[in-house]
Amino acid sequence: MSDDTTPRPAHPARRTAARAARASFSLIWLVPILALAVTLGLAWNAYSGRGELISVTFRDATGIVPGETTLKFREITVGEVEAVRFTDDLRSVEVDIRTEPEVTPYIDADAEFWIVRPVVSAQGISRLDTVLSGVFIEGFWDADRGEPATEFVGLDRPTLARLSGEGTWITLSSPGAKGLAEGAPVTFRGLEVGRMQNLHLSEEDETVLADVFIEAPHDQRLTTSTVFWDTSGFSVSLGAQGLSLNVDSLSKLVQGGVAFSTMATGGQPVEAGHVFDLQPDEETARTSLFGSSDRDLRLTMLASNDVSGLQTNADVTFDGLVIGRVTEIGVDFDETRPEDEQILQRITFVIAPDRLGVPASSTREEMLEFLQDRVEAGLRSRITSSGFLGTSMVVELLEQPRASDATLDIDAEPYPVMPSLPPEVSDLGASAEGLMDRLGGLNFEELLQSATNMMDAVTQLAASPDTRAIPGALRETLDEARLAVADVQAMTGELRDAGAAANLARMLDEAAQAAEAVQLAAADVPQMVEQMDEAAEAIEDFRFDEISAQASAILADLRAMLGTEDAEQLPRNLSDTLEAASGLLNDLRDGNAAGSLNATLDSARVAADEVAQAAETLPALSERFQRLAARAEAAVATYGENGAFTNDARTMIRELTRAAAAFGSLSRTIERNPRAFILGR
Amino acid sequence: MSADPAAMPPPHTANDDAPTGGGRSSALLTAHRAGLLGCRSCGRVWPEDAMECARCQAPLTPPDRRGLQAVWAWLIAGMIFYIPANLMPMMTTQSLGGLGGGGDATIIGGVLQLANHGDWFIAIVVFAASVMVPIGKFVAIIWLALVAGKPATEADAHNRLHIYEIVEFIGRWSMIDVFVVAILSALVQLGFVVSIKPGPAAASFALSVAFTMLSAQSFDPRLIWRGLPLHRRKE
Repeated sequence: MSDDTTPRPAHPARRTAARAARASFSLIWLVPILALAVTLGLAWNAYSGRGELISVTFRDATGIVPGETTLKFREITVGEVEAVRFTDDLRSVEVDIRTEPEVTPYIDADAEFWIVRPVVSAQGISRLDTVLSGVFIEGFWDADRGEPATEFVGLDRPTLARLSGEGTWITLSSPGAKGLAEGAPVTFRGLEVGRMQNLHLSEEDETVLADVFIEAPHDQRLTTSTVFWDTSGFSVSLGAQGLSLNVDSLSKLVQGGVAFSTMATGGQPVEAGHVFDLQPDEETARTSLFGSSDRDLRLTMLASNDVSGLQTNADVTFDGLVIGRVTEIGVDFDETRPEDEQILQRITFVIAPDRLGVPASSTREEMLEFLQDRVEAGLRSRITSSGFLGTSMVVELLEQPRASDATLDIDAEPYPVMPSLPPEVSDLGASAEGLMDRLGGLNFEELLQSATNMMDAVTQLAASPDTRAIPGALRETLDEARLAVADVQAMTGELRDAGAAANLARMLDEAAQAAEAVQLAAADVPQMVEQMDEAAEAIEDFRFDEISAQASAILADLRAMLGTEDAEQLPRNLSDTLEAASGLLNDLRDGNAAGSLNATLDSARVAADEVAQAAETLPALSERFQRLAARAEAAVATYGENGAFTNDARTMIRELTRAAAAFGSLSRTIERNPRAFILGR
Repeated sequence: MSADPAAMPPPHTANDDAPTGGGRSSALLTAHRAGLLGCRSCGRVWPEDAMECARCQAPLTPPDRRGLQAVWAWLIAGMIFYIPANLMPMMTTQSLGGLGGGGDATIIGGVLQLANHGDWFIAIVVFAASVMVPIGKFVAIIWLALVAGKPATEADAHNRLHIYEIVEFIGRWSMIDVFVVAILSALVQLGFVVSIKPGPAAASFALSVAFTMLSAQSFDPRLIWRGLPLHRRKE
């Protein structure tokens, strides 16, 4: 140190430098000291900022990566997984999580942890973000600083409580798991207000229990008179309004769900963990309500033992209105009663007095008093059958003013006894038997005999000469028409030779009138055919019990039809017309009548047109004949292929067909060349 | 230190030798041997009793092992900061708002990650720049500070000078890591998609490098030559 100074004479500058060096001794060392202080400060900061290490046990550690997987509380990262290891028995994994100091005080024994993974279920797809970001552990704890804990057991799935935080837990009890499903929605008037989870079998009995979480503020709607019913799947009901298919939401169809409603007032607020029974449907849920209210009255009626089929939960009706339900059916034994009434059915039922018209504010005594008055006025109970087939039994309260005097036994134990009437049971079996008896009493053989007779008569009619004469007459008419045409032809020739005759026009007017007469006659024919139609229809849809009468009627109709002048008149009219025409022509020929040829020919055209018009109705006529024949055939066909009756009927029908064909050919002839009918060309 | 007492008496003769002693090929002439004092600022030599460099007005201080205190102090500060630089994350990456992963990477962690991905070259470069160079620098400076001014042969002195020059030259390159982080943090700010933020280690590392550079700067290379005997005894 003194090396520099000793050999040299003292030098002010040197001394200053040495002093400066000595002075810098302390100053420069401040740098590492400061550095150390800063580093240590940082280290201490980091160390003290570290939270607690907690360890959560999961069944498996799917997707958990130490140092990356985070712990989140309400979607904010509040910790990080530090290590994953097996438990000693290798049955599960322990995840060590370093939590942030600010939340650490809240993580007490009631904290819950679960792993958030993407979920695809009937409720939809959720947490898809974790596909990208990787799973994370979610924790939930309340704001109370409880006893700190470091060992936790992770849940398999998130608890429902975290959905909103506030709400009420209740328990649903159901005989089966229908409608219950993990996470299935619970709705109130169709609005989802909660979910269920943790389905398990009851330890005491065989029911299925499910924890249901109803979110606030909807949990305020829960009272002890709240009912839950299953809304899963769909229901089909057949009623007076027709068939109705009820489907709730699609998700409920798939996964189930329940709904609840508070249908009666007066229930008490429920405590957490209250057990509700799940009813199979809304209707049952409604009726199950009777008896849940404190105001409901329990009454007993005694009935003879010969009524079976009444079950508990059966309706109690008053004027068709359901006012209660049967709660208990037992046996009542009383030696003081007459011998055959010592053992009676004791039916206990509960009614809502409000529905009977009792004021809502009345006390139990007032209600009983009211009932007492009504009983004295004739209010009675009885068992009666109800339902579509009359198979279900209900208890009916009815007013029977003429009933023998009775009183409401208010003091009876356990419940007041209401006087009863004998049961009114309609037996479906008995009425079905009566129907079968009536069916069996029908005389089928007689009916068949009548039908055969009727068809015989039809055959006879068809075979009768009168019927057969129709086509012949028609043919004759046709022949005469042809003759007339020849005459007309000849006359025309003469006309051409001799020039127009003076009264030709008048003659043709007459011809036109004649044609009109033909038309009128033809108009009658359809009417006649219609009668045949009706007859055929009657044949077609004959009934066994009506067949005799109708058969007679049809025969009479047929006879009348064939006997009418109308039928005969048709050919006659035609012949008359033609005769008149030929006579006229003869006159013309004889008188050498001449006149205005043009006018004559015009009139002739008009006449011919009218003839054509008349002839047009003929095809329709023949068609009707054919239809009649076809119907008759169809009617006959119902009798089967064999038998003399069938053959006879066939023959008749063939005749009818032939007659129709004759009509047809006549009409066709006229149709084909109506002018030739007049002019002969 | 111990060399100086022996070296002290002959400066006058050495002073006389200096202008005449031209045998550089055979013997090394130092300013000390010549009885001169070099200016640390501009390198001009002055008589030993000059107090101020007449050329650059810098104060003239003779080389002194006490000046090594600054070397030690800066060095220790640099080493202290080197510890958090390695323990704390250098860079925080976040992609897709944290959904796409991300995380903190320490220096060694980054190197291992690169090596795992098969980027051996980059891994080696980063490892060399961030680990080998700083640590080599610490070792070199410690060694220089220990041996400076102590008796040495000329060959030793040349070695020490080379090492000092290497340390001086390479010191700035250790900042490569800090540059990378600085550039990435500035460039990769795509908001939600990807963002990179410097971690606390970046500052520590930068401080560490700066302090070691200051340490190397504080080292007075003239001390290397002070270790040589004043007279060419071998001659």
